Amino acid sequence: MHVDPFRQEIIFKIVYYGPGLGGKTTNLDFIHSQINPKLRGELVTLKTKEDRTLYFDFLQLEFGRVNGKKPRFHLYTIPGQVYYGYSRKIILKGADAVVFVADSQSIRMDENWKTLADLEEKLILQNKSLTSFPWVLQYNKRDLPNIESVRALQTKLNFFDVPFHEAMANKGQGVFETLRTAIQLVLAKV
Amino acid sequence: MTNNNNNNNGKKWVFSEASFEKINGTVNDLCSRLKAHVVIFADMNGYPISFCGDTRRIDMNNLTAVGAGTFSATAEMAHLVHEKQQFKYIYHEGESQNIYLCNVGEDYLMIIVFSKNTAVGMVRALTAHAVKKLSGLLSDLQVEKEKATEFLDDEFRSLLGKELDKSFRF
Repeated sequence: MHVDPFRQEIIFKIVYYGPGLGGKTTNLDFIHSQINPKLRGELVTLKTKEDRTLYFDFLQLEFGRVNGKKPRFHLYTIPGQVYYGYSRKIILKGADAVVFVADSQSIRMDENWKTLADLEEKLILQNKSLTSFPWVLQYNKRDLPNIESVRALQTKLNFFDVPFHEAMANKGQGVFETLRTAIQLVLAKV
Repeated sequence: MTNNNNNNNGKKWVFSEASFEKINGTVNDLCSRLKAHVVIFADMNGYPISFCGDTRRIDMNNLTAVGAGTFSATAEMAHLVHEKQQFKYIYHEGESQNIYLCNVGEDYLMIIVFSKNTAVGMVRALTAHAVKKLSGLLSDLQVEKEKATEFLDDEFRSLLGKELDKSFRF
């Protein structure tokens, strides 16, 4: 969080974390496409030629003046591929909340676990932990076949009983609900 | 009045109004001397703290986020080639503009976008001078113990919640 009393601005950083090809960028794409252009910046994407996130995606949201103050939200995605561990560490620095975009497909459970463990390792490096850090789970790809039930996902991934949302980010379902929850968690934590 | 900033170590620093004005003064002075298109002083988390220049044409927030990311990537490159410290600057040469990025201590950076007609040597020299001044100011900072709760009162939270619902069309 960055507070600037001179400009009466407050900036929050929310990071979308999760396994590769889980739908993190799709979340930001949908937000970018739906939000009033006056309330958002351009979507910055650093992608590979194969359209995979190389470094991060970045989107700024703002809501004008609220009670005389100007809140802004910086949304980042991390690259999900295992070998971009250092990038994830950097992008997670200073985050106020995390949206963990889990892939609901049974075949991706290992990837979900590995990335969740990776998140916890990176948080520990900042003297934080999933047990107390504000984060929300998004069970994405609910429209695909061979997915785990929400009950099973809750048992397998939601060890700390954090808020969760079902989503089909490609259709926009659950995207804003997840973001709203993340923002509420940030505001409650300050 | 203060300017709060969480640095990379998770500590919260406070800029006194006087320090903040000096930071702004240093950034504005550098921008003016170089006739730069943009000068940004930011933290390594990608938050712009002070900036000047063509803010209508160039998105400061996006440029700072990418600049901080670029700088962090080169820090890893330094690590990979066994440099003891991170690289001090990065230089990008474009068709009509160049970009010069340099670190200010471990937690802050400067981004300077300038015309092709401005000599790089001058940019380096004047920026080094500005960095020295900024480093002096940063060494005077004190650790802030207060939280941002004064800034984020209940009324603000409630109104922001309503604004979010309106913008997200709930």
